[in-house]
Amino acid sequence: MKFAQLVVGPAGSGKSTYCENIKQHCDAISRSVHVVNLDPAAEEFKYPVSIDVRDLVTLDDVMEEMQLGPNGGLLYCMEYLEENLEEWLGGELEAYGDDDYLLFDCPGQIELYSHLSVFRTFVEYLKRDGWQICVVYCLDCQFISEMPKFVAGTLSALSAMVQLELPHINVLTKVDMCKNKEALDAFRFPDAMEMRHELDRQTGPHFRKLNEAVVQLLDDFSMVTFTPLDISEEESIEDLLLQIDMAIQYGEDQEVKTHEHGDMEDPDDGDGPDY
Amino acid sequence: MATEASAGMQNLNIQDQAGQQEAPKPTVILVIGMAGSGKTTFLQRLNAHLHEKQLPGYIINLDPAVTKLPYGAHVDIRDTVNYKNVMKQYSLGPNGAILTSLNLFATRFDQVVGLCEKQRDPPLQYIVADTPGQIEIFTWSASGAIVTEAFASTFPTMIAYIIDTPRCLGPQTFMTNMLQACSILYKTRLPVLLVFNKVDVARHESCLDWMADFENFHQALDSEQSYAATLSRSMSLVLEQFYQNMRAVGVSAVTGEGMDDFMAGVTKCAQEYEEQYKPELVKRQQDRSQQEQQRQAAELERLRADRTADGDIAAAAAASMSRGSGKTVLDGRKGAALQRLAEEEEAEGVLD
Repeated sequence: MKFAQLVVGPAGSGKSTYCENIKQHCDAISRSVHVVNLDPAAEEFKYPVSIDVRDLVTLDDVMEEMQLGPNGGLLYCMEYLEENLEEWLGGELEAYGDDDYLLFDCPGQIELYSHLSVFRTFVEYLKRDGWQICVVYCLDCQFISEMPKFVAGTLSALSAMVQLELPHINVLTKVDMCKNKEALDAFRFPDAMEMRHELDRQTGPHFRKLNEAVVQLLDDFSMVTFTPLDISEEESIEDLLLQIDMAIQYGEDQEVKTHEHGDMEDPDDGDGPDY
Repeated sequence: MATEASAGMQNLNIQDQAGQQEAPKPTVILVIGMAGSGKTTFLQRLNAHLHEKQLPGYIINLDPAVTKLPYGAHVDIRDTVNYKNVMKQYSLGPNGAILTSLNLFATRFDQVVGLCEKQRDPPLQYIVADTPGQIEIFTWSASGAIVTEAFASTFPTMIAYIIDTPRCLGPQTFMTNMLQACSILYKTRLPVLLVFNKVDVARHESCLDWMADFENFHQALDSEQSYAATLSRSMSLVLEQFYQNMRAVGVSAVTGEGMDDFMAGVTKCAQEYEEQYKPELVKRQQDRSQQEQQRQAAELERLRADRTADGDIAAAAAASMSRGSGKTVLDGRKGAALQRLAEEEEAEGVLD
């Protein structure tokens, strides 16, 4: 089996830093992980990238040649990627097979997920090609100081992912920069009731029914929990990686292999959780 | 239309400042939407509409990367911040440069608010702000939050959420858009007006139907996607509640259709602001200043406690000196120095 994380989130949420840190952590424990850059507008990389969409198309080139601004240019890049998906990405991915683990650093702009079909096409392609995928949604913890803002963050996450139908983990990034870490605990495992209570407290009375419906929705989508990531703490990185590994069932193969001599094939086909 | 708008304004005045003869505050319209939804074209149409109806408006452009603006802005971020220079100077890509440009502008935003607050003749009725192309640069940035709060704490403020109607004809994309709008509602805690743009290309009535009738939407969603029943049901319910809390209008920036409906929607949102949103905002600001006061009081207490401790040390040093412990000269010097320090601090008093 092949494993992939799609790292998504608004611009500046720390996706690339996340990829860099996971890569460094895995290198340190001799675990093989490769990073793929899917952002044509990405700037510099501090870590080695195994596959880079900028080999195929860059935002600068498109803006210059097609005379487009940054938004139009990015949309064009993504549509170009979609056209060349099987040929280019398929070609690049051939080098990766069983037990390989890829981190796809995706562009931030939500328009790409809602208005373009490129991400759906991309996910369908990966699934067909035998990849177990998990979406990792990054949100900057500095924006989540109060419950209504937290809910705004999860709704934004949901709007990006509602069309992807994949298991996901939500990550609160930049916890190392957070001055009040205890306050973050409130958002770690909020109970739906607590969430509603806190929301009602912080919004006007005309929000009551909407609060109820929204909390129900988030609960149904399991969008309520966020895992904090403190890149200065090795343990924090480990815990997060473990969670994601569980979501894509990475490591189950490994266990079967140690009992190879007597066992038959892996009975568990490894289908993701049902939605 | 002008009469309805000015009547709305007058109501605000009566509620707001009893006894004062100041002009009613203008309403701020923050134009937010996904890239390609037609914000800038809509602003152009709005500007023309305000001129046509002789409603004094003040236009602010907050998009640093726009090349050609089809309307005259009174305040343009590009006059203060050069986006291309920012890219070069800080070695940033286009997104980073837009964000940084907005950050730089936000540091001076009190000046913009000052300009808006100036008394004019005739007095301003609307302040309209165009935001950067990519929605998250405004909605998920510190500078976006600063700009929003600067407006909201000074004027009745509402969000005009521009929707690319032709792209929303599928229930899934529609849902994505509505979830975004809902996210903005919770993030800003300001009234949101859903503006279905480009109705000359695709009618928005089917979207309104979905919002008004949750069963309808549920069916459409089920037929398009294989979600678990609970999920599509929850989504439909949110949509229905959303509709209760949100106004929606259909416009075409290109043909001008729906602009009167839009202005009526703005007036209603401004009323909602005064009745529902402003009291919450004021309460939050009071909570915040209370917390700040408590924090300062705690700081002062700590300062006082420290100074008392030093004073004790000085007194002890002076006492041991007078007892003649042997190292009289050294102790004396030290004791005197500490004593001097304690006296100086006493004289300085509490620093702000």
